[in-house]
Amino acid sequence: MIHKAMKMFTLWLGLVVLAGVATESAWAHGERSQEPYLRTRTVQYYDVHYDKQTVKVNEEFTLVGKFRLMEDWPDAVSLPETVFLSAYSPGPMITRVESYLNGVPARQSFSKLELGRDYEFKLIMKGRIPGRHHIHPLLSIEGSGPLVGPGQWIEVTGSKADYVMPVTTLNGLKIDNIEFYGSARALKWYGVWIALAAFWLLFWLVRPLLLPRWMALQKGREDVLISTRDVTVGVILGVVVVAITFGGYIYANKEYPYVVPLQAGTNKVDPLPLPKNDVKVVVTKASYDVPGRAMYVTARMTNNGPEAVSILEFATANLRFVNLQAPGADKVISPDYPRDLVARGGMGLTDQKPLMPGETREIKFEASDAMWEVERLVSFLTDVDSKFGGLLFFVDKSGNRMMTEIGGPILPTFTAL
Amino acid sequence: MNTETLQHLQGAAAGQVHAKDTVISVSGLSPKALHFSRVFELLVVAAIIMLFAGAIHLHVLLLAGDWDMFLDWKDRQYWPLLTPVVMIMFPAALQAIFWTYFRLPIGATVGATCLMLAVSISRPASFMWWTDYPLNLVLPAQMIAGAIVLDVILLVFRNALFTAIFGGFAFAFLFYPSNYAIFAPFYVPVSHQGMMASMADMIGYVYPRSATPEYIRIIERGTLRTFGDSASWVSALFGGFICIFMHYAWWYLGIAMSSMKFLPNNAKVMALMGTKSDAKAGA
Repeated sequence: MIHKAMKMFTLWLGLVVLAGVATESAWAHGERSQEPYLRTRTVQYYDVHYDKQTVKVNEEFTLVGKFRLMEDWPDAVSLPETVFLSAYSPGPMITRVESYLNGVPARQSFSKLELGRDYEFKLIMKGRIPGRHHIHPLLSIEGSGPLVGPGQWIEVTGSKADYVMPVTTLNGLKIDNIEFYGSARALKWYGVWIALAAFWLLFWLVRPLLLPRWMALQKGREDVLISTRDVTVGVILGVVVVAITFGGYIYANKEYPYVVPLQAGTNKVDPLPLPKNDVKVVVTKASYDVPGRAMYVTARMTNNGPEAVSILEFATANLRFVNLQAPGADKVISPDYPRDLVARGGMGLTDQKPLMPGETREIKFEASDAMWEVERLVSFLTDVDSKFGGLLFFVDKSGNRMMTEIGGPILPTFTAL
Repeated sequence: MNTETLQHLQGAAAGQVHAKDTVISVSGLSPKALHFSRVFELLVVAAIIMLFAGAIHLHVLLLAGDWDMFLDWKDRQYWPLLTPVVMIMFPAALQAIFWTYFRLPIGATVGATCLMLAVSISRPASFMWWTDYPLNLVLPAQMIAGAIVLDVILLVFRNALFTAIFGGFAFAFLFYPSNYAIFAPFYVPVSHQGMMASMADMIGYVYPRSATPEYIRIIERGTLRTFGDSASWVSALFGGFICIFMHYAWWYLGIAMSSMKFLPNNAKVMALMGTKSDAKAGA
């Protein structure tokens, strides 16, 4: 019996320790839980850069990048009529200092973004809580929710106690740290109200409370339950409460004569100019090999430009498949891009010959990696419309990069039983 | 005039009122019974605090939600309107129970204090210590001022209808000014990225809430802004008007919830409960 109890205690202790370790920091925050059609056919992030991966508390770092709002937007997802740019983090481990969308301040939301167009974002953040935190760019779309970009681990070092965010108000008031601004004043006021409530409650609670009062009431003796003194004290307390309420209001108005309402409402921003794109791509066939964890796409490509171009990269849902034989392929992935989102084997092509000016050719490429599984992207096979989307990048011999959006129906290939 | 008041007057007329009578002497409880009664009262008070702190907190979380939760939701229009309308419900029901059965004019204050107790635990624990948000982002509104006045009005009028009319109105009307002294510092203007913001906006912006994008805030969407910067008082007045009805409805809900109903122990009920297979057979 004792042995069994000890076993149960050990098991319980183990679970407690495990829970404690597991809740010490958030390892992930659900970015893989979103359905593939959300991640492959809505917001495609590209050229995302983190300028630092280790910052001290109070040190700023910058997250920049672009995103394309896909033309083949899923019907199940609300259009980007109202969006908000932010950073996805496990709580306020980092804080926002500034944010911009196409150079326009992004403190508030934006309205009416355009499909098939590109936007450039910039987020200036600041280390706050020491630890290793997974940070993503994030575009929230009203009616659809958050759509996250590639996440990077940011190491914040130092002490949480050192964090400050100073602000000077338009009235000239200098605030050393908004983290604690107004809290002490609020606590004092709560104290005042709690003291008044405590007085009123104790005034009644110290006397016979429930059973004797109930019995007296049953005997029709309300006269012994509430006295003139009770009413007098109540009225005085009521007058005091009203006086404190309006006195506090008038005093606060004198203390802060210039106040403004909460600022809300959406801003408008123009998309980036249409990028140069000389290659027309029409997907003729796409399939996903379930056991092989590989996507095969056959597309008819026409080069309408003056230069020969090679396929450089296929990117979707933050995953990147680079054609390692293309010119400049070694410089495509910047050192700060999360390595867990880059296919080690790159991108396979049936035909590596550059697409000559004026030429039309059907090319099949393969995007194969366990990332499809790890990132939980294969469930697009269970979507109601079973379609895929992504960005296909080309490069000419001068290193100029072009980008086009591709997508279409996709067929699964299941394991033969 | 309610039944209890009538009983009191009849009693007085019959010469039953004596100057030296106390609650204890009238109750007729022996000293030993009184001792156990006091212990019982302490247990009830502890149970009420725990039960209603949790219940009112959950209720306000569900119905007032972000308006009470976050600093950058406390606008001039909806915050003073919606929050007291939600907050008066439980205090009105408690007031009915405490008054009807015990003639205790403390129900609203009990409700307000229970909520204050609950948020005093939940806001620091959930936001400051667990998820590292600053306390000022999640400062709650208080309804103690309105609740005390509501109780005092009940004590003076001793009538549910008048308490609803005057007390319900006062509860909502006092909400905005009694909280403004707490939140006024958060409406001072700051310049950020070339745009004006209030300190509340700024604090909301600085600390990212990934699942709470800026656009979900419902800030002064309506036509009350045609009253210029007096939108808060118009909201407070309208909130007071709604609270009259809300108080009255929840008063009777409190009475209904604290009343015991018994099913008659007849053959049909017994058949329904499965103790008799056929109601007709038992008839």
